[in-house]
Amino acid sequence: MSVLAEVSGNVTAIGYGLAAIGPGIGVGIIFGQGVQAIARQPEAYGVIRQNMLLGFVLTEALALIGLVAPFIFQGIK
Amino acid sequence: MSEQKRTPENDGRDFANAAWSVPSYILSGILVWGGAGWLLSRWTGVYAFIPIGVILGVGLAVYLVYVKYGR
Amino acid sequence: MTPLVLVAGDEFQAPGPSIFNFPPLYEGAPAWLTKPVIFAVVGALLVCAFAWSAFAKPQLVPRGMQNIGEKGYEFVRDQVARPFLGKDAERWMPLLMSLFFLILLWNLFGVVPLIQIPIASHIAFPIVFAVVIYALRIYLGIKHQGPIGYFKNMMFPPGLPKPIYLLLSPIEFLSNMIIAPFTHAVRLFANMFAGHMLLAFFSSVGFWFLFERLTPLGSGLGVLGAVMTIAMTGFEMFIEFLQAFLFTLLAAMYIGGALHADH
Repeated sequence: MSVLAEVSGNVTAIGYGLAAIGPGIGVGIIFGQGVQAIARQPEAYGVIRQNMLLGFVLTEALALIGLVAPFIFQGIK
Repeated sequence: MSEQKRTPENDGRDFANAAWSVPSYILSGILVWGGAGWLLSRWTGVYAFIPIGVILGVGLAVYLVYVKYGR
Repeated sequence: MTPLVLVAGDEFQAPGPSIFNFPPLYEGAPAWLTKPVIFAVVGALLVCAFAWSAFAKPQLVPRGMQNIGEKGYEFVRDQVARPFLGKDAERWMPLLMSLFFLILLWNLFGVVPLIQIPIASHIAFPIVFAVVIYALRIYLGIKHQGPIGYFKNMMFPPGLPKPIYLLLSPIEFLSNMIIAPFTHAVRLFANMFAGHMLLAFFSSVGFWFLFERLTPLGSGLGVLGAVMTIAMTGFEMFIEFLQAFLFTLLAAMYIGGALHADH
């Protein structure tokens, strides 16, 4: 059977693409729900804001770890 | 944050500042401490310093954002 | 003038980054005189003409171009300048407004037929903007907070035990001094570059499967490509507006941060 499709070039780009899916969904959920929460209870703005920021930082960290992970794993053969 | 008057406008500005600087904080945390780990691993030959440095940098950057904006 | 990406072979070839390389305009022209450079200048002149026709002879009851100009001014002032600069907003409006309109026009060139190159997809142009804002930010910070105070406010958030500063200050310095202006320029560049690549890809799929090699099996793919091209063009216009807005917003944020120490 002949080859239908093949991957050429740097495979780590695919790795980062996969790694960015999760944080992308996560950041969307965090800000979406955060804005909804603020719209429902404007008086709780301070608390919601803090938690939104913390959640965003932790999620964003995952995305950026995904960015450097190929460089880390390069050394391990 | 404590000395300034807390108005909705100030809060919004702080939040936007924080949200926009988060990616660059985390990236520079990774670069600084991951870079330190890389140098250490070149010096000692122990590869494990690089992932340790990266994770430490991410942790410190998250802590820095928490200290500056999250309290 | 546009280099045709689908040339040799019987196979469909996706357009690569080479679609951003333009030859010099005419024989014997200097190497820098290419289509993006020409349209960068045209864009700048168009913004000047727009501002001139809108604000040169202001009427109390706005009409014609002045209407559009005032709507744009109000948008930039209320959405960008006021939230970040507060009472200093009016002072920085000329800079922010010309930045916004120039970038918006340059970006919109990406979907105008026959021009079809977002100027900011050549990284040199965003870099110049980012460097200008960066120099302005450092100058203002040193002027308003003092050379020591500026770096102290930037690198040492108050209320932490001393040893922690040793760990956190390098991060803070690198983030503010190097990564922030870098991402400022790259955000605009990458969005324009990727958007233009997407448009080029879908339209070349449509062209290849509907015109160059029309087959019963491939025609469905060609129709899909054409439909996606139309949809992505609409999406691109939104992204182009959004990126111009974000670039101006970040510029206002950096200027505001230099004028007053945060917290």
